[in-house]
Amino acid sequence: MSASLRPSADLPPRVDLSNCDREQIHIPSSIQPHGMLLVLDPVTLSVIQCSDNIGLLLQKPGDSILGLSLSEIGGLDVGRRLLHHISKAPIQNRPFLLRTVTISDDHRERQYHAIAHRTDYYLILELEAVIAPPSVDDALPDVHAQVDAFTLKAEEAASVAALSQTTAQSIRDLTGFDRVLVYQFDEDWHGIVVGEDGNGELPSLLHHRFPASDIPAPARELYRVNRVRIIPDASYTPVPLTPNLNPLTGRPLDMTFSTLRSVSPIHVEYMKNMQTASSMSVSILQGGRLWGLISCHNHKPMHVPFQERGTCDLFARAFSLRLSALDRAEEFERGIEVKSVFTKLFAVMADSNDFASALSSHADELLAFVAASGAAVATDRGYLLVGKTPTEAEVQMLADCLFKSDNREVYQTDCLSSTYPAAMSFTETASGLLAIAVSKIHAGYVMWFRPEVVRTIQWGGDPKKNVEYVEGQWKIHPRQSFETWKETVHGRSIPWTKNEVDGAGELRNAIVEIVLRKAEEIAELNQELTRSNRELEAFSYSVSHDLRAPLRHIVGYAEILRESVAEKLSEKDQRFINTIIESSEYAGKLVEKLLEFSRLGRAELQFNRIDLNELVTEAQADVMHDAAGRKITWKIDKLPVVVADLMMLRMAVRDLIGNAVKYTRQREEAVIEVGSYSTDSEVVVSVKDNGVGFDMQYADKLFGVFQRLHRWEDFEGTGIGLANVQRVMERHGGRAWADGQEGNGATFYFALPRKNLKE
Amino acid sequence: MLKPILLVEDNPKDLELTLLALEKTNLANDVVTVRDGAEAIDYLYRKGTYSEREPGNPAVVLLDLKLPKIDGIQVLEMIKAEPNLQAVPVVMLTTSREEKDLTRSYKLGVNAFVVKPVGFREFLEAIQDLGVFWAVLNEPPPGSMKPSPRM
Repeated sequence: MSASLRPSADLPPRVDLSNCDREQIHIPSSIQPHGMLLVLDPVTLSVIQCSDNIGLLLQKPGDSILGLSLSEIGGLDVGRRLLHHISKAPIQNRPFLLRTVTISDDHRERQYHAIAHRTDYYLILELEAVIAPPSVDDALPDVHAQVDAFTLKAEEAASVAALSQTTAQSIRDLTGFDRVLVYQFDEDWHGIVVGEDGNGELPSLLHHRFPASDIPAPARELYRVNRVRIIPDASYTPVPLTPNLNPLTGRPLDMTFSTLRSVSPIHVEYMKNMQTASSMSVSILQGGRLWGLISCHNHKPMHVPFQERGTCDLFARAFSLRLSALDRAEEFERGIEVKSVFTKLFAVMADSNDFASALSSHADELLAFVAASGAAVATDRGYLLVGKTPTEAEVQMLADCLFKSDNREVYQTDCLSSTYPAAMSFTETASGLLAIAVSKIHAGYVMWFRPEVVRTIQWGGDPKKNVEYVEGQWKIHPRQSFETWKETVHGRSIPWTKNEVDGAGELRNAIVEIVLRKAEEIAELNQELTRSNRELEAFSYSVSHDLRAPLRHIVGYAEILRESVAEKLSEKDQRFINTIIESSEYAGKLVEKLLEFSRLGRAELQFNRIDLNELVTEAQADVMHDAAGRKITWKIDKLPVVVADLMMLRMAVRDLIGNAVKYTRQREEAVIEVGSYSTDSEVVVSVKDNGVGFDMQYADKLFGVFQRLHRWEDFEGTGIGLANVQRVMERHGGRAWADGQEGNGATFYFALPRKNLKE
Repeated sequence: MLKPILLVEDNPKDLELTLLALEKTNLANDVVTVRDGAEAIDYLYRKGTYSEREPGNPAVVLLDLKLPKIDGIQVLEMIKAEPNLQAVPVVMLTTSREEKDLTRSYKLGVNAFVVKPVGFREFLEAIQDLGVFWAVLNEPPPGSMKPSPRM
């Protein structure tokens, strides 16, 4: 959870909630009164510092024992030999129980647990009062059986929630606290109660959240190092140490590992607000990080003996082992799932020329891959949307924004609107976004979306701290009230897991690889095409020369022959010669037309501004050579100026006008109309005649090469004219089509895209 | 004496037909025929076989585009680059209407460009026109708006 989720604290800016983060909680120079503390020289075992309450016990001022060796202090027999033993042992900073000692004062004998640990400079001996003396002296509870029972339960827990629940229960059974919470930190150190067991004395806090400031950084660090602490009675009066500063270091005593360490006054106040008189917490660590706490509370003061606290620590460690196993199992399962979908997606992409359509046509897999409810594939060719997504325009803007903010690999968020305010309008489809960049040069992304999950978060009280101005200083007080404070969270989705984000990253690599490979293939294909195009060009060139030459010779010699021998030949023989000449001429024309057609496909377009009326007039003049004596009525509108390749457009216009003249040949009066109209995207020119027309069922054949709809005797021709028109239009990004009716005239259209006009 | 016409043509049939056509035009000029580009260059520069010929440039060069050894375009280039020959009109004869041939020839300063028609009659007309006013046969450079006569 990010910090933006938390309502901003309504405080003057100079007051910093991290005040607690600077509190030196490990050096309070005082202890809680349920025991006594002695700081000993590790060699001489003489007393360097002691808690003031030891004087009360010995009935003389505490400072009177300073400098004395332990054995010289009457009434304190805690086993000199044991102390010697640990003083020689390698430095060990974990407190451990030496033994139970009995100290008599005037009134009665009292038992204490003698607990010792070492620091760099000295030995700390703590005597913790045994409040409820064990029935059998020194008899340890059956730790083995307790841990065994707990481990079994933990192993059966199939989820973190179940594990937390069973742990809370076991700890409460063991210790007898009113309420035991399992409290988990999120990555921002806010806490959530994930397991709870209680007897009803204290209110339930299950699923409540607590702001990170409740357990400030120094406390968290202390909890990480020293895993167990207890406050038997929050209303205690701290007992100071004498002298206040440690004489060996000149600094306050480092009480990080002290079990009696007095806690921060802020914490004591906090506990009072929570109506808990006593508390204990046991840290749960995972991979060295503080995962959470087992937090125990009692409405009345209570104490948990040292050994039992140790057992709680064992439970916490078993918890963390089970937690790791659960996490790993979950991760593993999801990993396998992601992997298998990945394999499938990879296969379909590899088989396809277009990864985008391959992905979007496998919508189920694409969505299941990262458990998304919608996905979009954005490429330079467009946007493919799958499932529940924002609109195409919104996706496009999002992709552009990702690209502009330099997201070139993997981007993920469970609260898109916090970084991209425009997402506010589509939180119901895309509160969560996982995106992978698939291009470095344009806004190419595969995006997955998750919908908003409206969550009501129960904070453990208003997550604001009260701040008070006392004696010229800002003082922070913990919560005054522990009413549940609810907050509804909008614009958030279920967060993406590491597996999903990693899987997406892998898919990205795969796509980039596939796209790269395709690009190489295309480059290769292009090279191939360029080569075969060159070959084709050489081929047509040689056809134009080598095929036309013999045809020319046939015609040439036949004509010379006809001239010289015509008089001697019969009419029939003359017709034979004429047929030779005509056929060869026709063959020559065919070759020429074919060449022209192939040239249309290859020649580079040279754009000119062309007055269509001029072009029509020119074509008219040209075709009228062959139509002398015919009665033709021309109705030619004012035509626009277009931008096109002159040679090509001239050919198209000439072909259409020529056809109109040709196919009206049988009409007494031919009427040929040339008109035009414009749409948003095109300029359309039509050539209408009242000629023989055609059957619309052959309309699609009209524009094919060598397609003829009439018998040769009726209308001669190569069957290439309309194919040329079509090709000219294709080259210009336009189109050609026709309308007609058999015997009732035809209208031919061609359309040039208007964008050409701007060139 | 009239200057001769230099005909550069490698194909014997085309050569014969062209000569027949020229014959029918009743031009008084002699026709000198050479069979490839190298020979044409020799003639024009009075080198090799033609080192002994009478001095003087031809009236017109009828130059086939596709020639062995040195092709027509190269011959054209050499003529137009040589101050003494620049003024000689050159008519390209070609089988193709390939745009790049036309464009290149015009760039090099060809005086006329005749695409050999399939029909002999049209060819005859073209050759006859050449003798009188070859500019009529001019194929315009590609891209111009001027309507061109069909060859």
